[in-house]
Amino acid sequence: QEEEEGPLRKKSSCFPHIATSQGMEPGQGELTPAFSLAGEWQGKMEEGKAYSPHGVFAHLEMLEARAHEADLKEEEATQQEEKLARLKARVQELTLQRDELQAKVDLQQKRQLEKEGVASDPAQPSAQAVLEWKIKRVKAMLQVFSLTGISGKLTKQGVCFCISTAYEGTYLDSYYLDLLTKPEVRILRHSIPIFIPLEQLAKKYLQTDIRRFLSVLSNHLNAYAARKYQADQLQEHFSDQIEGTLQTNSLCNLLVFNYNVPNKSKTFPFNVRLLYGDLCSSIPTKAPASLAEMAAAHSDLFCHVALHKAFRSFRNAGESVAGAP
Amino acid sequence: MDEIVAEYIRRTVLKIPRDEIKTVLQKWGFLSEAQLQTINFCQIKENISQDVVQLCEENSAGIKQAAVLDIIYNHIYSNKRVWSVYQMNKTGEETDFFDLTDFKKKFKRRLHSALTNVTINFREYEDNAIWIRIAWGTPYTKPNQYKASYVVYHSQTPYVFISVSVLRSNLPLLCQALVAASNYHDIHEMELRSHSLNSLKDIVFKRYSQNFQSYYPRPIQERNVAPEIDSRIIQENRNEKERIQRVNSEVFGDGPQPKLEFARYKLETMFKSDPEMNVLNKKEPFRCLVKFSSPHLLESLKSLSPMGMADAPLSPLLTCIPHKARNYFKIKEKKGVSPRSFVSP
Repeated sequence: QEEEEGPLRKKSSCFPHIATSQGMEPGQGELTPAFSLAGEWQGKMEEGKAYSPHGVFAHLEMLEARAHEADLKEEEATQQEEKLARLKARVQELTLQRDELQAKVDLQQKRQLEKEGVASDPAQPSAQAVLEWKIKRVKAMLQVFSLTGISGKLTKQGVCFCISTAYEGTYLDSYYLDLLTKPEVRILRHSIPIFIPLEQLAKKYLQTDIRRFLSVLSNHLNAYAARKYQADQLQEHFSDQIEGTLQTNSLCNLLVFNYNVPNKSKTFPFNVRLLYGDLCSSIPTKAPASLAEMAAAHSDLFCHVALHKAFRSFRNAGESVAGAP
Repeated sequence: MDEIVAEYIRRTVLKIPRDEIKTVLQKWGFLSEAQLQTINFCQIKENISQDVVQLCEENSAGIKQAAVLDIIYNHIYSNKRVWSVYQMNKTGEETDFFDLTDFKKKFKRRLHSALTNVTINFREYEDNAIWIRIAWGTPYTKPNQYKASYVVYHSQTPYVFISVSVLRSNLPLLCQALVAASNYHDIHEMELRSHSLNSLKDIVFKRYSQNFQSYYPRPIQERNVAPEIDSRIIQENRNEKERIQRVNSEVFGDGPQPKLEFARYKLETMFKSDPEMNVLNKKEPFRCLVKFSSPHLLESLKSLSPMGMADAPLSPLLTCIPHKARNYFKIKEKKGVSPRSFVSP
């Protein structure tokens, strides 16, 4: 509908032009036919159609029709092209799919053949099994690594170390240290007990030699854990020989207690004061005890053997006189 | 037996809930089992306390035993008092052989040299905690047993937990004595206060749960088994919920939080408004005090994000409380190009 109205509108706008211009009409060189045409045009306008086979309007009409046809043709052509492209793509897609399925079918056939035929090579595990085995191995490796005492994991901002303590085959507590690496190595947070001299060690070694820092810290922690473990073991297994309570402190580096040693159906009370001078050691450095003879031997024993082992040897010595094991 | 001592013991017993009186007296150990059997613990507290005083009279209790009973009471009901944390500094690096007898001697000597009318009592507990009870007097009056101060100290640590009585004027003397006895140089008060003594210990001794990353995490306690999920219910926001859970876990850890009752933020920042509005545009900082209080502050902060009341991650001003070991903050303007606030140390 628009197409039809278009030329009408165009012609109506042409009307004033034709009225004022001269010599626009191609075929006729006079003014009068313009006027006559105008009159004709008016009449035709009332009719609603314009058909004059001669003259401007006719020509315009013709041109317009041609243009319109050309447009339509072009549109059709582009549509055809698009359709063609789509179909080509589809063809490609389908060929790909067909190839995939074909490959699958081939593989299936091959497997089928293999099963029926000679038994397949057992040393050819599937990719999945290999991956699982690799994961298991890595996990086991990490577990072993953590059992060594010092293990770490990279974090977004640095590293997180885990120091595990152990004493003679028994695993005790683990402590964590979260370090930042940029701009310089710093401790972000930790779970190290407050009485371990962490700041001192950090000041000394953290910036310069991280390995040494971790090693020294690990020694401190392990020694503390060992001393605590020994004290606990003593209280647990030898409470009958201990008089009263064990006086100790947070670091367990000073132990004062009274103990009895049976000797020829008499018990001798001793008081000992164990001083652990070296915080990295689980053996005391000084152990002055009362009652000279036995004391010297006991003192010596304390400075060489673990606490609960020393007591075990007293018990084993039993009725013998000089309690040296 | 002294009238004062008798009255003091009676009042202490009255403070204990009736069902617990027997256990506390057993812990005290001053009255024998036989004597305890003679007391009827089902009568009203008034009568129980009278009976106890009677028995103490028979054993001739002195102020020392009464003080020990008081320490035991405060140890069990430590959350009835407000505890502050003090930090000590020292410069030496020698290994410290902390000897308890030595400590007690030095402490007493220091206090007695300044003030003769004081009652000092000690009690040690299994976790290496040393409880000290000090009743203060003046040069002219006897010690007031009802307004005693309590100090809890763990050997070889730089932290002291003090619950002061109303008489704060004796605090400097107390601090001096502590520093001298424990071989430190100076002491200052930290911005950390709470009713729960154990939580304060957890915070400064770093015993609270922190989430450390490791390849081989030690097995944690079994969590609650996930409830049976109906397959017809679809969680639309599952990803978001999981993200919030993860962030929360990273910040707060998985275990129980230390128990604090409040966090106080003192703001001394400039009011930032549109310059055209001309509101409070003077150079004076806008003073404001924000106080968060809760029966269990950190647990409630931890549950804010999962409940949808706040975005995860929470503001670092809230989450840094256990890490910075403080619950009193002063927020000032950051002096520099960007006008952002920072927390004063």
